[in-house]
Amino acid sequence: MFDMLLGGLGLVSSFSTAALVGAGLIIGLFVGALPGLGPLMGIILLLPYAITFPPVQAMGFLIAIYVGGSCGGAISAILLRIPGTPLAAATLFDGYPMAQNGRAADAIGIAISASALGGAFGGLILILFSPSIAAFAAGFGPPEYALLAITGLTAIAAVSDQSMLKGLIAGTAGLLLATAGTDEFTAAERFTFGLFEMSDGFNIVAIVVGLFAISEMSNLLTGNDLLDRPTLSIARPGFRTVLLVLRHWPNLLRSSSIGAFIGALPGAGGVISSFTAYAVAKTFSRADERYGEGAEGGIVASESANNATAGGALVPTLALGIPGDAVTAVLIGALLILGIFPGPTLFAQHSDIVGGIFLVYMLANIALFVVGILLTPLFVYVLRLRKLVLIPTVLLMCAIGTYAVGSSIFDLWVMFAFGIVGLILRAGGYPLAPMVIGVILGPLLENNVRRALLLSHDGLRIFIDRPVSATLVFINAALLLCVFFFTLRRHFAGRRSKPLPVNT
Amino acid sequence: MNFKTIVTGAVLALAAISGPALAEYPERTIESILPAGAGPAMSVSQIIADAMGKTLGVSLTVLATPGAGGIKAFQTGLNKSADGYTIIDGYVAPLVLQPILGKADWKYDDFIPLHAAASNAFAIGWRTDETRWSDFEGMMAWGKDNPGKLRYSSGQRNNLPHLVIAKMLQSYQVVAQNVPYDSPPTANNDVKSGILDFSFVNVGSYKQDPEALKIGLVLSDRPAAKAEFGGAPSITDINADLGLSGLAPMGWDWWLVKKNTPSERVEKLRAAMGTAMADPDVRTRIERLGFEPLDWDHTHYDEIVSGVRDQLSTMADAIKWEEDALKALK
Repeated sequence: MFDMLLGGLGLVSSFSTAALVGAGLIIGLFVGALPGLGPLMGIILLLPYAITFPPVQAMGFLIAIYVGGSCGGAISAILLRIPGTPLAAATLFDGYPMAQNGRAADAIGIAISASALGGAFGGLILILFSPSIAAFAAGFGPPEYALLAITGLTAIAAVSDQSMLKGLIAGTAGLLLATAGTDEFTAAERFTFGLFEMSDGFNIVAIVVGLFAISEMSNLLTGNDLLDRPTLSIARPGFRTVLLVLRHWPNLLRSSSIGAFIGALPGAGGVISSFTAYAVAKTFSRADERYGEGAEGGIVASESANNATAGGALVPTLALGIPGDAVTAVLIGALLILGIFPGPTLFAQHSDIVGGIFLVYMLANIALFVVGILLTPLFVYVLRLRKLVLIPTVLLMCAIGTYAVGSSIFDLWVMFAFGIVGLILRAGGYPLAPMVIGVILGPLLENNVRRALLLSHDGLRIFIDRPVSATLVFINAALLLCVFFFTLRRHFAGRRSKPLPVNT
Repeated sequence: MNFKTIVTGAVLALAAISGPALAEYPERTIESILPAGAGPAMSVSQIIADAMGKTLGVSLTVLATPGAGGIKAFQTGLNKSADGYTIIDGYVAPLVLQPILGKADWKYDDFIPLHAAASNAFAIGWRTDETRWSDFEGMMAWGKDNPGKLRYSSGQRNNLPHLVIAKMLQSYQVVAQNVPYDSPPTANNDVKSGILDFSFVNVGSYKQDPEALKIGLVLSDRPAAKAEFGGAPSITDINADLGLSGLAPMGWDWWLVKKNTPSERVEKLRAAMGTAMADPDVRTRIERLGFEPLDWDHTHYDEIVSGVRDQLSTMADAIKWEEDALKALK
């Protein structure tokens, strides 16, 4: 391991590598913060430029976009109640209320610090345990993924305690929406209404941007202060925000571990990890921490988890050549173009490149903390814009971002339609996040249940015959009992004051 | 009307008149629509796109549009203007196979070919510690003794590997269960862990980890394909006619534009792609990924594509046979 890192150090220690990582981070933070765009889009757009560099520098640039983009979505979630990427959907539960309470800079500072620390934790996991975690993750098959999706769905219970029933209705609607498109198992079209644009289902970015951004901007329009310049006194965040995060160190370690573990499972992704980490943190929180009303721990949980996922996702990517998520699939593509084949042979034949990639990932997370904190005042400036300027600007960004994902006008209509759905849900007091959870986890659950049943020669027994799968059945049952128990306990303990009507 | 207004108006009018006259194709980014997600195929397209972009003087981006067996990508391309700014990356499955299966209503001659891009051989592999059989014939014998028990993946349903494997199984009268996976590496991993019996393996996956699976049979009769899989047995090494002979090279793609695209633009694109495909550096980079760069220019399109279409048409009932045989077992 030491030799690998030492070999990589030679490839990393140059000004151009540091400059590329810095540039990648800034790009990542911006594409993450702009609703609709995200790290995947940023990496795809800059791939042709990246592959003109040697492998480690190219990966440093692309990984920095990944790291910055995974964090950048939190900025718009906190400031505007619009998750810049689906990864940040869980961050707005506490980030936005915190900003509304006058602590916008702190909220962003916590998000950046937690992202950097969570990402660094994921990096340590990557460096120390890559081969063994990859071997464990390789044992995950369709039954385990199906049960993992159920674990993710339990997060709905945690994010909809204003009304559990409405949360479950919204989550179920999300699961149903996820069934639209071409059925992977029969090649039949479902709910496509003859539209080829629907042949791959709804674009998740269009759904998230529509649900959150359109409804939020419409909500802002109803005020009488369109022309007023907000008179917020916006403090600059300091590097001290790392101390605020470290106060929540058990939460940070737990959430980072959840993120790194889920990231290491190919196909699971950062959205599941951030919601799961948030749900677990909230479940084990004290009543006076007030999750959902601006709790620092809520931001720490979701942001450390989604950035640790990036490190985790690099484990199967590098060690097995299996992409951990959509972003790492593109990273594999970049490596292939550069003549590097990820997988066990990479560790044997190009250990210096593996070491270099490990190091640029760690460098990106450390630099995220510095660059992010320095750029925060620029982002927070958004809060000082008149609504008359802010609303059309945000809507334009949303439209550009959503269009850019697939160069599709149809996606803009989907975004608009889900904007109306979001307005109706908000008016009815239905939380929006469970619908996003349902849409994201729907395919993972459905496809893996069906795949598992096709693979099984004994029907449902496949879920309990395999040790890891049986363990996950047990964990899911225990998690549901925990959610039930702690929710009841919180209700009985009562809240010290009436909760703010935050509708997320 | 003051002087400033007159000058501004004159400049705008001049710009409006002279704009189209000065404009020379290409003026902006050209998109190549790939009917697949990120992976080795996208990397190959990116290599060709970058080389073409350098010749054309504009950037050429690869738009990954997976879904519905490539139909979504083709529909997306067909819905764009025939102006030379959209290229459709025409893989066999959406171009030829989906129309044969009745899933798409276009014909291969609805498109104008630019140049052939690359081909990618594939094989089937099983886990290295498999004890139930040691070679392909052994696997077929086991499958025949245990109808419906073999589980395999061809990646997505109704793609070229699915059709070819179904045809192979039909030849041996072996009933097996196809299990669709959206990510071929995940399917290979499930073979490795023993939950799946065998799966298709492309050269890219093989090169990433040659020791991961035992390559049981290369589904091509080309010597080059056999060599790409480390000399593993190919269909020429077994004593049965799988109906696959001559179906080579499989898994190719042609870059296409819509009919009615102005001919001078088509010629520019053809020239750029011809230059790219002849570039030794481009060829080396494509070969490194396990793909074979193709030399066919547009004049070979009808001959090659119609030949493969005719051959695939005779195999089209194999997937239906597989479905019916599985239903009959239940």
